[in-house]
Amino acid sequence: MPVKKKAQQVGTAEQVELAPQAEAKEHVADLRTVLDNIKAREGVIGYILRASTSAAVDIKDPSKIIDYAVLSASALESAESLSHAFELGKLNKVVVESKDLKILLLTIGEHRISVFMEKNVDHNAIYKEMT
Amino acid sequence: MNEEVYAVALKNALVEIKNICPDVHQAFILMDNGTIVAGDEQAVEPIVERTINSLQSLTEKAGSVGGLDDLLIEGDKGKVYVSQVNGMYSVMALSKSADLPFLRTVTGIILPTILKVLNSIGSETPLPAPLKSTQIVTPPKFRPAPSKPTVKEEAVEETVKEHEEAEEIEAPEALTHLPFEQLIVDKFGGLMVRSDTVQLDLEILERWSSLFNGKEIHEVDIETFSGKTSRYKAKVISDKKFDGKGIIRIPEKTCETLELKRGELVRVKPVVPEE
Repeated sequence: MPVKKKAQQVGTAEQVELAPQAEAKEHVADLRTVLDNIKAREGVIGYILRASTSAAVDIKDPSKIIDYAVLSASALESAESLSHAFELGKLNKVVVESKDLKILLLTIGEHRISVFMEKNVDHNAIYKEMT
Repeated sequence: MNEEVYAVALKNALVEIKNICPDVHQAFILMDNGTIVAGDEQAVEPIVERTINSLQSLTEKAGSVGGLDDLLIEGDKGKVYVSQVNGMYSVMALSKSADLPFLRTVTGIILPTILKVLNSIGSETPLPAPLKSTQIVTPPKFRPAPSKPTVKEEAVEETVKEHEEAEEIEAPEALTHLPFEQLIVDKFGGLMVRSDTVQLDLEILERWSSLFNGKEIHEVDIETFSGKTSRYKAKVISDKKFDGKGIIRIPEKTCETLELKRGELVRVKPVVPEE
């Protein structure tokens, strides 16, 4: 599997190959292509793509990887809890804005995606591109 | 100024916001410490408490990126919009078709204005008192070190639930700015390997030690990519070929417990040595 040099490849090629079906692999590859295109946009800081057995991370500032990963996991967990409490039905998207950045979180199949961007980036356009 | 006046004013503000934006079904305002300042009649207590718990965890984690300003959750049947206003959080449940930019504008004008007016009228009352005693103490960022390092394997995985159990322990002020290192995981195993002990670079341990007036670092907290945090005994890397490579060597069994794989990144923080 081709690996972008600058990407922090937390989920290794070996891990991705553990995916049970070829179809799943293709899906992951598609998602990564879309995410790589999105990351090339101005103001997009990076992304985390997580599945049950693997994770791919491409963040411009590697020292922030853990912070971002922990924050996105916590945001998704909180959103799921609140979605249940307020009976929002199936979760479509979550947007977290902090003083420094904005995060778009969504789930596609078994993949949990977090896209990190500057606050002036149009997250709705990114959401449309992802879905 | 009377605290009740404060709460009533904010409650009325919420009612007015609901009048202007009929898509708002429920609304309440929380302090950043988890106390309820004001809420409308539709704000049901179990929902409010669940919201407090969820937001508390998130606001803590968002500290690393400058704090939580806004949170929007969109589901099939509706939305939840959380917005930070002057150190408080307004929480609103909205219909799916709600005009969010309009709501943002309205709340962004009304709530700060009301708060400003209230503060200027009663400047001796800096912040409103909670209406309900549902305060949830923020979990401490670091648990104080046990009197003896007794990390047991079954206690290794720390979940959010365990965080809640540790809520009442107050973290000392000095612990809030501990140094940390982002290190690459390397597994190791063997018959005599203790699962409660990890190995780090001598240089890292010495650097931390110097920050604590030369006290030796015996324990570290490890935070994983998925947000799990656990405490382990720390020793110097025994195999010199791993020196200075930014690696933390973690026993295989412990890696399994923490769901860690070789090559993953973890954040490692020293536990402040006891006096």
